[in-house]
Amino acid sequence: MQNDLDSNNNVIVFDAVSKVYQPGSEIALHDVSFAVREGEFVCLIGPSGCGKTTALKIIAGIEKESSGVVVRPEKISMVFQSGALLPWLTALQNVALGLRINHVPEHIVQKESLKHLEMVKLHDLVNKYPRELSGGQRQRVGIARALAMNPSVLLLDEPFSALDPKTTEELHQDLITIWKETKKTIVMVSHLIEEAVSLGDRVVLMNNFSIKKIFSIALSRPRRENEVEFSREVSQIRRSFFS
Amino acid sequence: MATKKHIYHHGRGIGFSYPLSLQQRIYSMFIAPLAILIILLLLLRVLAIVPSLSFHALPLSYLWKALGATFVRLVVAYFFALFVSIPLALLITKSTFAEHLLLPVFDIIQSIPVLAFFPLIILFFIHYHFLNGAAIFIIFLSMLWNIVFSIVGGLKVIPNDIKWVAHVFNIRGFAFVREVLIPAVVPYIITGSLLAWAQGWNIIIVAEVLHTYIPGGSADQDLFGIGSVLVNAIARGEHSMFVAAIVVMVLGIAFLNLFVWQKLLHYAERFRFE
Repeated sequence: MQNDLDSNNNVIVFDAVSKVYQPGSEIALHDVSFAVREGEFVCLIGPSGCGKTTALKIIAGIEKESSGVVVRPEKISMVFQSGALLPWLTALQNVALGLRINHVPEHIVQKESLKHLEMVKLHDLVNKYPRELSGGQRQRVGIARALAMNPSVLLLDEPFSALDPKTTEELHQDLITIWKETKKTIVMVSHLIEEAVSLGDRVVLMNNFSIKKIFSIALSRPRRENEVEFSREVSQIRRSFFS
Repeated sequence: MATKKHIYHHGRGIGFSYPLSLQQRIYSMFIAPLAILIILLLLLRVLAIVPSLSFHALPLSYLWKALGATFVRLVVAYFFALFVSIPLALLITKSTFAEHLLLPVFDIIQSIPVLAFFPLIILFFIHYHFLNGAAIFIIFLSMLWNIVFSIVGGLKVIPNDIKWVAHVFNIRGFAFVREVLIPAVVPYIITGSLLAWAQGWNIIIVAEVLHTYIPGGSADQDLFGIGSVLVNAIARGEHSMFVAAIVVMVLGIAFLNLFVWQKLLHYAERFRFE
């Protein structure tokens, strides 16, 4: 593990990180150590309340670690479970918001926002408000908004948990395409083992606020759930999950 | 101490809605104001409060002007209240410490009837020969808390995800207030404003009739407006004028409700989080 943490290729490093929200309250993360390499797609999985979203928030800088060392790049973007779009802004305005606030010239804001909405296949819906979009389309806007900031790391917090299976499958494929095209480092929280095996280079299994095991997924892409190797990986993680 | 008003605004399902169907619109635009007027006139007749009415010689333009003068007073007081409410609500919700410190204080102040302050306020404004200021100030006080507590309720229900988005995208300080907080509380500003205006119309009846609060005062010291017209008409036994003033006031309020508040309530829907 220490060798992994010391690699020059790491963009995120968690070294013995713990988190307690308030002194005396229950622990939210305990002695977590792992590293994410540049360009890697890592999935954090585990039962509800095991600390995976806390770990993601610490990477995003939303929460501060109570102890341990966290190394993360400056440019990080995040896609939220609910989409978290501002309802009074159109899809285009939502994507443009981060750029505009960070003083990017207006012509670049427009160009970048449209480019990323096109990347998530929403070029026809740029002027629609979130309430006029389906759940999947809102998540696409969320992904476009995060990518428009040109982050070195993209974080996703259970982005597909509220979507139907067909939309989820489409978004999985699109996310992999985007990941391959942009070569971004992605860390995604999921509660589905199949989803993690389908998308991740590595799967970090968490339980009781710490890491239980890290799995490398050596399957080639595209991955299909009905393939034997895929099922074997899922079974292996499932066994650890329930043991 | 959480007053009824306070609790009411903390809920998300505030009970105002824009009439979307044609039937709802017809009801809101014509039937409801008409029914209110008919019931009012019937009550006055049945209770024999108004013995006989004659409307043919009434100075209608005078009544509309009175309504206009009252409306200007309400608008000025409202914008002052709005201007003060937003920073006050932001201050309360800025930190848990500020909330624990200020909210109980505001809760007590807003529970004290504003009219208790009126004689003092009049004395202050008489000193500066600005009686309109007294009326505007008392209307301002009556409007203020509705808007403040409504905005506080709105600020408290902003989803955490949205705050995290602001953090991740580096939307901080004044940009956070401008781009996130203010738009997020638009529905609460509007519902709070609607209640504030209702409170304002209530207070206007007293706020324009200043002479009752001035030692040795006369009706000449009253402010020209629909409130003073109403009160002085009944004091002088001018029943027709009194009823006509009520009709003008109801029409004015119905007009505002239809063409301002209901449109604003409809507009506010786009700012609501799902």
